[in-house]
Amino acid sequence: MKMIFDWLDDRSGYRTLLHEVLYEKVPGGARWRYVWGSCLTFAFFTQVVTGTLLWMFYSPSAQTAWESVYFLQYQVWGGWFLRGVHHYMAQAMIVLLVLHLMQVVIDGAYRAPRELNFWFGALMMGVTLALSLTGYLLPWDQKGYWATAVATNLMAEVPVIGPAIQQVVVGGVEYGHHTLTRFFALHAGVLPAMLVGLVVVHIYLFRKHGIHVKEPRPKKDSYFWPDQILKDAIACLAVLLAVVALTVYFHGAPLGPPADPANEFPARPEWYFLFLFQLLKYVPAFWGAVIIPVFLALWIFLQPFIGSTRPGHQLNIGFWWTLIAGSVALTLLAFSEDSANLRHSAALEEADWQAERVLSIVQEEGIPPAGAVTLLRKDHENRGRNLFAANCASCHRYNGHDGRGYPVDDAQSAPELAGFASVEWITKLLNHEHYISEEYFGGTKFKNGTMARKVLAKYTAEEIALLPRIATLLSDMAELPYQTPLSEDEREELLALFYNDDLVFQDGLACIDCHDIDSEEEGHAPDLTGYGSDEWTIAFLENPEDERFYGDENDRMPCYGRDGKLTDEQIKILSDWIRSRPSE
Amino acid sequence: MSDLNEEESSGRRKFIRVTTIGISAACGIFPLAAGIPALLDPVKKNSGESANVPWSKVAPFTSLPEDGSPAKFEVVQETVVDAWTTYKDIPVGAVYLTRKQDEVIAFNLKCPHLGCAIDFRKQTNDYFCPCHNSSFALDGSVTTESSPSPRPMDTMETKVEKGQVWIRFQQFRPNVEEKIPLS
Repeated sequence: MKMIFDWLDDRSGYRTLLHEVLYEKVPGGARWRYVWGSCLTFAFFTQVVTGTLLWMFYSPSAQTAWESVYFLQYQVWGGWFLRGVHHYMAQAMIVLLVLHLMQVVIDGAYRAPRELNFWFGALMMGVTLALSLTGYLLPWDQKGYWATAVATNLMAEVPVIGPAIQQVVVGGVEYGHHTLTRFFALHAGVLPAMLVGLVVVHIYLFRKHGIHVKEPRPKKDSYFWPDQILKDAIACLAVLLAVVALTVYFHGAPLGPPADPANEFPARPEWYFLFLFQLLKYVPAFWGAVIIPVFLALWIFLQPFIGSTRPGHQLNIGFWWTLIAGSVALTLLAFSEDSANLRHSAALEEADWQAERVLSIVQEEGIPPAGAVTLLRKDHENRGRNLFAANCASCHRYNGHDGRGYPVDDAQSAPELAGFASVEWITKLLNHEHYISEEYFGGTKFKNGTMARKVLAKYTAEEIALLPRIATLLSDMAELPYQTPLSEDEREELLALFYNDDLVFQDGLACIDCHDIDSEEEGHAPDLTGYGSDEWTIAFLENPEDERFYGDENDRMPCYGRDGKLTDEQIKILSDWIRSRPSE
Repeated sequence: MSDLNEEESSGRRKFIRVTTIGISAACGIFPLAAGIPALLDPVKKNSGESANVPWSKVAPFTSLPEDGSPAKFEVVQETVVDAWTTYKDIPVGAVYLTRKQDEVIAFNLKCPHLGCAIDFRKQTNDYFCPCHNSSFALDGSVTTESSPSPRPMDTMETKVEKGQVWIRFQQFRPNVEEKIPLS
């Protein structure tokens, strides 16, 4: 064995090299404050290795990016773990960058003769941020898509050449295949190669000038190996464990619903860019895109010269602390504004719903060549709630929201429709108090109609007790997919009640005197034959002003079919959705 | 006393070295290890059970020559899953079909040697692979001793139902004597 190593050393001189690497002098002994550079190198190494592995699964195009990431996340053995490590290590890298920068600033390690290395470090920070920006888009989910749109629109703020830069980076005017191929080339090729080059120069310059010793020296001098390497290794292990813990806790990186330019999503960058996002609420985009970066670059360039005097050094430290404190404050502000915003939380919940929905469709049907986004666009459940939100929710509500979970600004002026035509829903409808409440007809002219004033308001307790049975009969006609149908006998018995054969109701009037069920005569109130069924609901949505329903008594309910507001297919989807088991 | 101290400090130094190497090695190997299961994922999906192979409709029985000479058809499979994409009704390969009374014999177009496409030669009434000169008789058997193909042409299960020829289309591992299905 020794002979082989001797031969290798003779031909390569590796022992001298290794000796030089390992026996770098550490004046004042090994210290924890020196570990950040090694941690960053380790983090970058992890990103290169896990990134190369991810590369084996990723396919950059608008129809395959989300799909290939989905496949890795849910179908490939341990795919979620690999992706999670890459995702959380990227975030750890940002934290480590800030720690490394602050250590350099506080220790004054940026000053002569290390100016050049400080500038290289700043360049590396820029490249790392560019890496996270480009990586954010690659899964091509809603979050990445909308956030990147904002980031690339900022590029257009650069004077004169801005729009051209944006077009080159995006690969055109619209986001699509070429945005992904370009971002992927940047993320997996150009930027890592730049970073490798910069790391080499950075470490070379670091070695040339030696470690910058923070006075006073706690111990006597020692060497990089093994004392400092032990500390470095422990710190790297801690980073690794934190990343693994995050990966396991969140079961890998999140994957939102597939990107869809027609499906709005509140764009937010990753947490470490939130301060910039928040800042753009107060200053023009031009500041965020040009003035602030130029000012920062200028400050970084001048920092070693400013810091050559003691007060200058203090100024530098103060500058960075202020910057960090300001960023933290802006970030917290962004979080608290978002969490106080009901529409924002609803949008996040909606995205979660879509992500889960698309997963369950994919498990049933697989992903067509046109991509997963088409599954959501075609999905009747998704379309149903969107149709409701767009057409019904300005008057009606669904569990108090617009069908998708968003709060509605307009006051409710028509019935709540979650659980429409179910026993529970009709039972409440037949209760006078509920009938005239905003939840049902309180916002309509029916609040003062015959049914409210002359029928429901006048029931005796004994009659009220019969109403749930009437509700059961009516609801049975709806043939709701989630309710068990009545037996023939039960139905006969309840129909007798409806027709009021034995005159249980005091005023001698039966429901049938106004509402029809299976009869030829025309009562003036809505026909309840097949009430809430597929046929009834579709016919009602098509034309509530038909004699069969409200006739000229209709109160503002649009005639979606008659007036061509919705297609037959849309009405059917809407009807199916309203009649489906109510979700939260 | 000083000997003891020296021994203790050399023990401590050794401990530091071993710990350092151990932790560094763990950190160094971790990124690759994190991806090993995913990397090896394709290996686990390999069950060639013919019961799982779907039937595909190929052609009307009457379209096969009555004299038993082969005709080439593409096989369109109803559902094909390629990683994340599910295709409907796409060609997955091609076969030569020959009539044998009421039954049909199907040969995979791919040569069992290294997977080139086999031609049917009308003049010599045999099959011939233009890549490495394997030749096969009409019943699929290897005809020359110098033929590089280690086994006859690959047959697949067929059936005739309501005048249509159906096939369980499969690929097989090339260049081994045994016919081992891949799927």
